[in-house]
Amino acid sequence: MKCISAAALSKAYGDTRAVDRIDLNVEPGQAFGFLGSNGAGKSTTIKMLTTLIRPTSGSLNILGVDALREPLRVRRRIGVVLQQPSYEPTLSVERSLTKYGMMWGVPGDESRRRAERLMRDFGLADLRKKRNEDLSIGQRRRVQVAREFMHDMDLLFLDEPTVGLDPAARRELLDYLKEKAASGLTIFYTTHILSEADYLCDNIAIIQKGRILASDTPAALKKRLGRQKTITLRTNADDQTVATALAGIPDCVVQTGMGASITIESAKPEHILMEVLSRLRKNGIKMREISAEAATLEDIFLETIRDASGSETG
Amino acid sequence: MHPVLRLVNRNLTVSLNPGFLIWQVLFPLIYIFVVGFAYTSLIPGVTYNGEHVTYPAFLATGMIGFNIMNSTLVSGLIIWNDRRHGMFEQIMSGPYTRMQYVLANICTIGTVGMISAGLIVGVGYPVFQESAEFTIYTIPLIVFAAVTGSVLFGSLASIISTRLTSSEGFNVVINTTFIFLAFASTAFYPAEGAPEGLGAAFYFNPLTYIVDAIRAGIFGGITQAVFVEMAALSAIAATLFVVAAKMMTKVDL
Repeated sequence: MKCISAAALSKAYGDTRAVDRIDLNVEPGQAFGFLGSNGAGKSTTIKMLTTLIRPTSGSLNILGVDALREPLRVRRRIGVVLQQPSYEPTLSVERSLTKYGMMWGVPGDESRRRAERLMRDFGLADLRKKRNEDLSIGQRRRVQVAREFMHDMDLLFLDEPTVGLDPAARRELLDYLKEKAASGLTIFYTTHILSEADYLCDNIAIIQKGRILASDTPAALKKRLGRQKTITLRTNADDQTVATALAGIPDCVVQTGMGASITIESAKPEHILMEVLSRLRKNGIKMREISAEAATLEDIFLETIRDASGSETG
Repeated sequence: MHPVLRLVNRNLTVSLNPGFLIWQVLFPLIYIFVVGFAYTSLIPGVTYNGEHVTYPAFLATGMIGFNIMNSTLVSGLIIWNDRRHGMFEQIMSGPYTRMQYVLANICTIGTVGMISAGLIVGVGYPVFQESAEFTIYTIPLIVFAAVTGSVLFGSLASIISTRLTSSEGFNVVINTTFIFLAFASTAFYPAEGAPEGLGAAFYFNPLTYIVDAIRAGIFGGITQAVFVEMAALSAIAATLFVVAAKMMTKVDL
């Protein structure tokens, strides 16, 4: 049984299609990354998946339950960290956690135990008596995320949860989520920070203008879509000699300045590299350094979005 | 625990902070013991149902209704605050339905209204005890008036909360409503002494009906008019509750 199974899911506001016939399949125990730029349709999708809004059309099954027919049954088994801040301004950090536990029906003793553990795990112990309204944005965000672990769940939705967090807190949160995913919790994680998705997620879908452009594991996406690879070489010759020797080779750029450096950006850089090495040898130029970089998820994301925009305009 | 009770528990924790409770007692105390006694030289007494009642006693009983309105309008802000601080969406993504949320708010408002009424009865009792004529029949009337008034004003505040989006607009509307309802009513003075038009306007104000019912319950003199007023009050409260519930189901997420 899939944790999330959506088919042809759409949401329209008047004539505008915020989400357009998307299909999603998330397996149990997976950390699923949902990537998209601002306004791509991520939040609308997550609101449909969490039953906050009703799709205009399509089918949606969450944890084996028809989410359109029985939304409450779904909500009882999921956790949601929304993109917008949510907090009780007058409650202390500790009270926020225990009250949230109470709202989910967690018994008092257990609720206090969980609150203690979460305050420790999220670095909130020193802030326990502080009211939410007196916290910084980042601290409040930590409370908001920690609070969701007060109750049991099978599936956790997080909509850009690291907004407002400093780099250390961000990494700690990702590590915490990774640990939870490893222990069997299914995570649906939306972000536009691609390094986060690369670090956390087993599977990724890229959404743009309400449509899913690609969906696979990060490695498979890089293999399938990462057409560009970059190879950089440094030589012992001067800029002019290298530029003359390599003139006319496609996708090969000679950068001048601190000793000539040659950059090859191509889908098949190995072929070009052979040609470059052959010409360097013929001209008696020796190579001092060589490095190769595979495409990052960010490259793939930008490339995918660019391709989609290009095919629309072209 | 039932989901509605869990939400009521949470709402009471959020609304009944010490500052709110102190304000709920302090504010009417100032009215009763400062304004009430200071005005005694100007208003030696009020004739109520053919009996002479001192002005502080008249005002103290009016303050019960006033305090119900005050507290329930404030409690009605739960929805406003929940929307403003993202808790409405958070609760709706949890194990609750919108109808449970609405019911919990009304229960909270009713509870806060009863607590407020109880506080003022306790605080004001020494002032009106001489004229008080409680009976086994009048206490349920007072409780009924308090609960109905709470539902009415709580629904009104909920409607305002769901309609408005800006803090400035919300504050202007809620404060104007509050001042109009407070002063164009019989809470502070009897309708008989007011200029004709204004006196008539008092009877377009639900607070007048609540205060009249509470006074009838405390000072005795439950007439047929009081029952008519209570019926009208119940009808208005029910209508506003239905409107508030309908509007809540349409709040965008």
